[in-house]
Amino acid sequence: MIVAAIRKDVWLLLRDRGALISLFALPIVFILAFGSMFKFGDGDHQPRVIPISYPAGSELGRKIQRAIDGTLGVAASYVPSDAEVRARVVSEAALAGIIVPADFDPAHGRRIELVLDLAGPIQIRGPLEGVLTGAVMRALAPVDLGALPAMVDVRSPPGLAQPLPEASGFQISVPGNAVLFGFFIALTTAMSFVGERRTGTWRRLLAAPVSRSAALLATLVPYYLVGLAQLGFLFGIGAGLFGMRVAGSLPALVVLSMCVSLCAVSLGLLFAAIATTEKQLGGVGSVMLLVMGLVGGCMFPRVAMPAFMKSIGLAVPHGWALDGYFDILVRQGTTIADVLPNIGALLAFAVGFLVIGLWRFRFDA
Amino acid sequence: MTDAVLSLRGVGKDYGKRTAVGTIDLEVRRGEIFGLLGPNGAGKTTTISIACGVIAPTRGTVEIGGIALATAPRQAKQKLGLVPQDLAIYEELSATQNLRYFGALYGLRGAVLAERIAWALGAVGLAERAAEPVKQYSGGMKRRCNLAAGLLHRPELVILDEPTVGVDPQSRNHIFDTIRALRRDHGMTVVYVSHYMEEVEALCDRVAIVDRGAIVALGTIEELVAAHAGKGFELELAGDAAAARAAATAHGAVSGDGAVLRLVPTGALAPAIAAIEATGARITSLTSRGTNLEAAFLALTGHALRDGGP
Ligand SMILES: Nc1ncnc2c1ncn2[C@@H]1O[C@H](COP(=O)(O)OP(=O)(O)O)[C@@H](O)[C@H]1O
Ligand SMILES: [Mg+2]
Repeated sequence: MIVAAIRKDVWLLLRDRGALISLFALPIVFILAFGSMFKFGDGDHQPRVIPISYPAGSELGRKIQRAIDGTLGVAASYVPSDAEVRARVVSEAALAGIIVPADFDPAHGRRIELVLDLAGPIQIRGPLEGVLTGAVMRALAPVDLGALPAMVDVRSPPGLAQPLPEASGFQISVPGNAVLFGFFIALTTAMSFVGERRTGTWRRLLAAPVSRSAALLATLVPYYLVGLAQLGFLFGIGAGLFGMRVAGSLPALVVLSMCVSLCAVSLGLLFAAIATTEKQLGGVGSVMLLVMGLVGGCMFPRVAMPAFMKSIGLAVPHGWALDGYFDILVRQGTTIADVLPNIGALLAFAVGFLVIGLWRFRFDA
Repeated sequence: MTDAVLSLRGVGKDYGKRTAVGTIDLEVRRGEIFGLLGPNGAGKTTTISIACGVIAPTRGTVEIGGIALATAPRQAKQKLGLVPQDLAIYEELSATQNLRYFGALYGLRGAVLAERIAWALGAVGLAERAAEPVKQYSGGMKRRCNLAAGLLHRPELVILDEPTVGVDPQSRNHIFDTIRALRRDHGMTVVYVSHYMEEVEALCDRVAIVDRGAIVALGTIEELVAAHAGKGFELELAGDAAAARAAATAHGAVSGDGAVLRLVPTGALAPAIAAIEATGARITSLTSRGTNLEAAFLALTGHALRDGGP
């Protein structure tokens, strides 16, 4: 009996592509993605390159460079100008850089500058700051650390907006999860379409004197509003309970959220056009949304991902949404204009999803 | 043309190479209860789905109350109420919540909507439990709720697709009474789709018999019985039944299996019997097959209606 039951369930499982993917393929995707993300270097045993500038012939500069080279996971690379160090950090070509001034004199405020994006995710910024400050201190040793003024200034280079003072981890975890779960409204939307088709309420709708576009909107609009309410709720809880703050403009947060919700229900229409059963959606659809969230940086910041992963993050709307939210929540003075590229990208994704969705949608299936 | 509430002209539907409905011509007259009778898979639901504008026909045109569905779908649909074959209601919502939504689809609002909901719930006998979620209803109550949702806008024409499937006799009688009252009190025209012979016999003025995507006969029940029943015979055979069956084919429509052979002769019966006996098979009994709709159906389609049934 048990054998027969096992056989039956294996047959059923083999027929259920969604379940197979989530049971077997999904963990592999996550193992690969997380594995390559957490690797500190860019390739195999490749350390993160830290650009360093110092006056030609500076003994201190060379000592710091050697100290960094001797530190696991990072390697220093001499660049001829301070501007070049800052430019590399601004362009995200490097996570951090070191500038040793010609007149290094900590007692009079001429300190070594550690250049990094203070608005970057704390998971990345924290360890880097520790590692690089440590390397500088070793180069300066032996000195009586307690008796001396601070040796290192940590600064964002000009070109990157200043973060809120004391940004908490919620500045990152709230938008990350808001985007991840905000996009799950796509699944709810698609389930609703497929469910209406299965029960026959869709038939009733088509027999009623409403146009086909109105029939679609009758499902899309309610879920769009639910999606907005969900984002509002999550950011509201984040601000009210967890002390999340909005560094940029509130209208920008609202407009970006409207675009996220629009993009999500459009993806829902696309899912509904492709899927035929709710089971299929629950399997394949939820896996797709998780993977999109993962590569989009909802679970692990994209800044620290290898270049390849970083670029595919922008192939999903999640990456654009999250970048926009980070700027609005963490960087002071962020306006709608600053997140226009993100808004544009989300709208473009929405239009793409709608066009393919409408093309594939079967009204009378 | 005169007082047709629904006319289908040359209507058909293909799914890829498969033809679900061939070519159907049909006129339903104002004030009648019209039956669409046929076995499962005959194409009944496909036909009425085209009539309601739910699916687009491969060929043909539809008019509802004189309005072409293809050119003025909104006006045409406003005249029509559909009660789908499936329980097309939201099980998590109450009957009232369901009806509020479905009424709004027909432009009903406010006091009018409230009044129509009260009326429809009363008509199907659900007024007392209207606030409960539909999923707590019995099968029969769900069916009645399904019916009520198609009536709110008082359509000229109601199309009911197998409205009694999975229903207890009491609910079924209730549904029948409701349908008769709709015609009597509100002058509605009804198209009743079913694969139950006795329902159509009990309820309908005229009947179209549908088989394999085509209308094989259309008329009042009396007309159909007079024209097609009573011509069939059932023979019991001894000996080589297969050979007898082959011989009989030349003389009419043959059905039945094993030792039972059903025959609707094209001409006289005697030559058919002679041909059967010439094969060496013996006819052990011969009966004329009744004069009811069932016999007419058998004679027309060469097979019984019921393939499982209730
Ligand atoms: N969407 C579809 N795709 C392919 N074949 C279909 C579809 N809908 C119905 N059919 C086929 O058309 C035929 C008629 O179906 P239907 O109209 O539902 O019959 P009935 O309502 O009389 O039981 C059946 O053979 C059915 O399999
Ligand atoms: Mg049917």
